[in-house]
Amino acid sequence: MTTVAETSLAAGRSLDEPIAFPARKRRIKGSSIAILVFLTICALFFCVPLYVVVVTSLKSMDQIRLGDIFSLPWTLDFSAWVTAWDKSCSGTLCQGVKVGFLNSLEILFPSLILSMGLSCVTGYALALWNVKWANTFLFILFLCAFVPFQIIMVPLIVITGFLHVYGTIWGIAVVHAVLAMPILTLIFRNYYKDIPTEIISAALMDSGSFWRIFREIILPMSGNIMIVVLILQITSIWNDFLIGLTYGGIGTQPMTVILANVVITALGEANYNVDMAAALLTALPPLVIYFVLGKFFVQGITAGAIKG
Amino acid sequence: MAVRWSRLSPQVALTPAVLVTAVAFAGSIGWTIWMSLTRSRRFADYTIDWSNWPRQYNRLLNDDIFLGSLKNMVVLGIGSLLAIVFGFILAAMIDREKRGEGVFRTVFLYPLAVSLIVTGLAWRWLFNPPLGVQHFVQSLGFTWFKFDWLNYPETAMYGIILGTVWQGSGFYMALMLSGLKGINSEIWSAAKLDGVRFWRLYFEIIIPMMRFTFLTCAILLSLGVVKAYDMVYAMTNGGPGQSTWVPAYYTIDAYWQKANLGLASAAAVVMLAITVAIFVPLVLITAWQRRRQEARAQ
Repeated sequence: MTTVAETSLAAGRSLDEPIAFPARKRRIKGSSIAILVFLTICALFFCVPLYVVVVTSLKSMDQIRLGDIFSLPWTLDFSAWVTAWDKSCSGTLCQGVKVGFLNSLEILFPSLILSMGLSCVTGYALALWNVKWANTFLFILFLCAFVPFQIIMVPLIVITGFLHVYGTIWGIAVVHAVLAMPILTLIFRNYYKDIPTEIISAALMDSGSFWRIFREIILPMSGNIMIVVLILQITSIWNDFLIGLTYGGIGTQPMTVILANVVITALGEANYNVDMAAALLTALPPLVIYFVLGKFFVQGITAGAIKG
Repeated sequence: MAVRWSRLSPQVALTPAVLVTAVAFAGSIGWTIWMSLTRSRRFADYTIDWSNWPRQYNRLLNDDIFLGSLKNMVVLGIGSLLAIVFGFILAAMIDREKRGEGVFRTVFLYPLAVSLIVTGLAWRWLFNPPLGVQHFVQSLGFTWFKFDWLNYPETAMYGIILGTVWQGSGFYMALMLSGLKGINSEIWSAAKLDGVRFWRLYFEIIIPMMRFTFLTCAILLSLGVVKAYDMVYAMTNGGPGQSTWVPAYYTIDAYWQKANLGLASAAAVVMLAITVAIFVPLVLITAWQRRRQEARAQ
């Protein structure tokens, strides 16, 4: 009995972080073991696609043709990664997914600045200033957050065309800012409304103007929410496909669109190792952010849930 | 002067947001509804023939592909409910057994950080009949095993459901976990003292207490299902044939491939109508439940 408890404790420990106090030895109940086993099986199921993508990207085509999808690669061979990055073909252009990577980076910064700037100022004005129609406007924004993209897709093509930004980086950035505005404004507004209005009144007495209060009081207080929204926006802009496909022109398509071209619409023999390497390269930036700043990521997706 | 400026500044600062709402949302929706009543092809044609204004809608209703896409959407919605169920089971287990919470949460949530295109491609590869999971399991001796769902019109939608559930379960788990954490800890100890059975505790106490969380999940899930596009594009690209088309796919195809703005607009309006039809009742139920709870609390 003791040995069973001992071994199960060890099993529990290997799953968990190391236990700080070894003196507190408690016997693990059978139900706990069952739950941990079940959760571990589920966790393995969740890891399967990532594992398969990683090992496939490291295999040679000869090994892939054997059809043993879960086997480890014979040798650590990064040549598929190099090919995917540098030489894989999207349409007739064979310069790899690095083109998409650079485009995505170029799209990211203007999109972040436009979407966060617009929503942050709007949220601040609605939360802390006496705007009579604030509640009506917030309700309308709440409704807008649920609108399916397709119903404003064509009008936005017309509008970005009218502004002479259709097909450019800025066109994509404008559309990202428009689509993210309702939900981000609500997030910022909910954060700022907990700031006591006394602070604003005192600052107003002190002859602080709208913009000065924003710059000197509000922005320094928004560190936490800024990181949450920043991570939410980086992942959703990076992972976006439809906006990039619709508003991107030749030379401004984001990485997801290039990836889809490389894999789905590719001609000739399929190189699965190159395809999976390209997919992994596309997934890598948000995954790194997720594993490093997971806490903020979870806050962001929960707050911005309706955006997905 | 300073006071007047401070009154005006918020209004000035709000102008861009109001403009965006008025033009890019309200105006655009109005424009699309208008277009859905016209005979626009590649370019916008603003004349409406009032004698036959629902022509595009009639065409949609007589189009088997569109009806099929609606059916696929319903199938996807029902199938995706598994993600909520699965998410709740995971959350309940993590909450009960605190060990390893951080590790499990990290693993269950990572699909959310990955682009749906990448997720779809990964699943498409797993579904590859001669090289993927099917071949592997068959080579172990289970020759009856089939995992080639994406290759057949009858089963392709289930493949997409599997990918969607895999991608979404972690998210519902996170929502459920925060819901479970909000439950008063006395309930657990009281139930333990009374010796309430495990199943009864969950079905009769915990789940009814978490109905808001379930409603929120249901709203988010249905909105996600109406919008579903990336996953379908990456996994099957609508195929085999048109068997996995969903309304979002139909709309985009009608605009880009068929070059039919009128038809695409009508399909988009149907999407909006479906969203409203799901959204309004669910939000009303949520509001009603909340009011009832508040009334009871007083």
